[in-house]
Amino acid sequence: MKPTPVRSSALDAASTRPARISISPPQGYWRLAWRSRHGDQSVLLERRAVTVNASLLGAFLLASVLYLSLGSVNVAPMGVLHALFGKADMMANFVVQELRLPRLAAAACTGAAFALAGILMQTLARNRLATPGIIGIDNGATAFAVASIVGIGVSIAPPAMALAGATTAAVLTFGLAAGSGTQGYRFIVAGIGVGAVFGAVTQLLLARVAIDTANAAYPWTVGSLNARPSGALQLLMFGLVLGLITALMLARSLTLLRFKDATASGLGVNVKRRRLEVLLLSVALTGLAVAVAGPVGMVGLIGPEIARSLSSSRGVPITAATLAGALVMVLADLAGRTLLAPIEIPVGIVTAVVGGPWLLWILMRPQRSFT
Amino acid sequence: MSQPSNSALPSLSTQSLGMSYGARQVINGLDIALPSGKVTAIVGPNGCGKSTLLAGLARLHKPDSGLVLLDGGDIQRLPTRQLATQLALLPQEAVAPEGLTVTELIRFGRQPHQGWLRQWSAEDQRVVQHALAAAGLEPLADRPIDALSGGQRQRAWIAMTIAQQTPLLLLDEPTSALDLGHQIEVFELVKHLAHHGRTVVMVLHDLASACRYADHLIAMREGQIVAQGPPAQVVTPDLVRTLYQVECTLLIDPDTGSPLLANVRRCSEPAY
Repeated sequence: MKPTPVRSSALDAASTRPARISISPPQGYWRLAWRSRHGDQSVLLERRAVTVNASLLGAFLLASVLYLSLGSVNVAPMGVLHALFGKADMMANFVVQELRLPRLAAAACTGAAFALAGILMQTLARNRLATPGIIGIDNGATAFAVASIVGIGVSIAPPAMALAGATTAAVLTFGLAAGSGTQGYRFIVAGIGVGAVFGAVTQLLLARVAIDTANAAYPWTVGSLNARPSGALQLLMFGLVLGLITALMLARSLTLLRFKDATASGLGVNVKRRRLEVLLLSVALTGLAVAVAGPVGMVGLIGPEIARSLSSSRGVPITAATLAGALVMVLADLAGRTLLAPIEIPVGIVTAVVGGPWLLWILMRPQRSFT
Repeated sequence: MSQPSNSALPSLSTQSLGMSYGARQVINGLDIALPSGKVTAIVGPNGCGKSTLLAGLARLHKPDSGLVLLDGGDIQRLPTRQLATQLALLPQEAVAPEGLTVTELIRFGRQPHQGWLRQWSAEDQRVVQHALAAAGLEPLADRPIDALSGGQRQRAWIAMTIAQQTPLLLLDEPTSALDLGHQIEVFELVKHLAHHGRTVVMVLHDLASACRYADHLIAMREGQIVAQGPPAQVVTPDLVRTLYQVECTLLIDPDTGSPLLANVRRCSEPAY
């Protein structure tokens, strides 16, 4: 096809006027503009999004200091800051740096990954219930990871197994939703079914092994930050950074995916390809997060929900959901570690106790645009 | 009103186009050419394949045979984004995310012209303002879409496609849910756009408004073209009978010269 000539002059009389007008950004946005060798460039920042993200980041940092300070040994908040740089006494240095910091990192990263995966899947399915946790991807990842732990002769590391499980569950859900794609109830119902089957498989695997092995695998079934397979966290961190960057690159298309397919496509989004990319991203993040913490999928529901309630409806609050997920997970694990100390409540149980009623409330509330 | 020259407008046509929905072949071997800078209406009874044809023209569905040609090139080969700078589409019953305002909706029309580092240019601002004015929506600029009347809402969607600045505009039953006043609102805007150098193609339910507002008519039945041409030439009592199985008397609108359908009745005696 021959190159397209500029046709705007034929389109509207107004375009023949000189373009020298002062630029004011759309209402509620800041506009950053600069000139480069590619011409004039500009980025819009939504004011409300900036406030929301900054507040969530502040809350997350505050929660992190609390997380590092509270426990069987309490370290004063200022002591935490000293200990982080190795300037406190040996005991505090050890507790903060060796015991709590890695676990904090695991909590923050898994929470962030679950919530990011959640908001991606919800946007894709145009349904706020369609999180990876609810459509069975968490359970698929867990079943595979447990299988590798209790030993079914396959000796692949849990993270790889969790990824394989997440993918299997996603493929099954899609297959069962047959043709109706990610929209509508069929997808959700198929996902719930797949999740139930994988949940049963996990139980079956545990029932057949010796009680000690079953005990070792128990945290996997509820979601806990107590037994983190080595290497899984590094992999998750890497995946999370990559996933967040990709999601932000896709943010503009994601905003358009909230419209009907025909509208999004008419505005230049390759809907099928975007949908596949976003789905793969969501499944991969879920798999990596399950490999670290087990199925704590409720965070995938709570994080985006908090982000949406704080944000305007103009876009998809990707970073806000990610931050909210990290915040929720850190607070939940902090509660699990300290509320009934010395007994530790697995983080998956804390989020389920909080998230269950939350889910009911969402279902009972008069509907907004989602679902 | 003077008509700008249409030589610069890209042409849209099909070559023995065949499309199916699932296993059902809906249209087969269609050859059409859409006149540039005019309003074309695709009409026909329910299920005749008119919406499928529009979906093919907009590349929403892949044809199973034949081609859709944009300026002589296969439309399937164009990147989605590039196509979106040539051809805008208003699907049937478009829904906006809740809380979106008129201006915010119109801004989405700039999407194909923007990029990650080109999010808001002077051109974007000017075109959005122009689209607001062209659709007569300036007083409603900050109103949420869900708070508008049906006609205003449809004008807001059309304004979004105006902001897209495409030479081609496809509309799928833009007036199907509107009362008479709101229908006229939308049709006059469409007419205005064609006068300012856009090629407009719309699927219409209503033959009467097609006669009144279209320059070119494509009449379809069972996936085939029954007639195409200016309404005054192609609309005959025979055509109306073929399309809808109804008898009618044709009159000429004394003011516009377009055909009017009068005394419309069923061909056969009803069984009741």
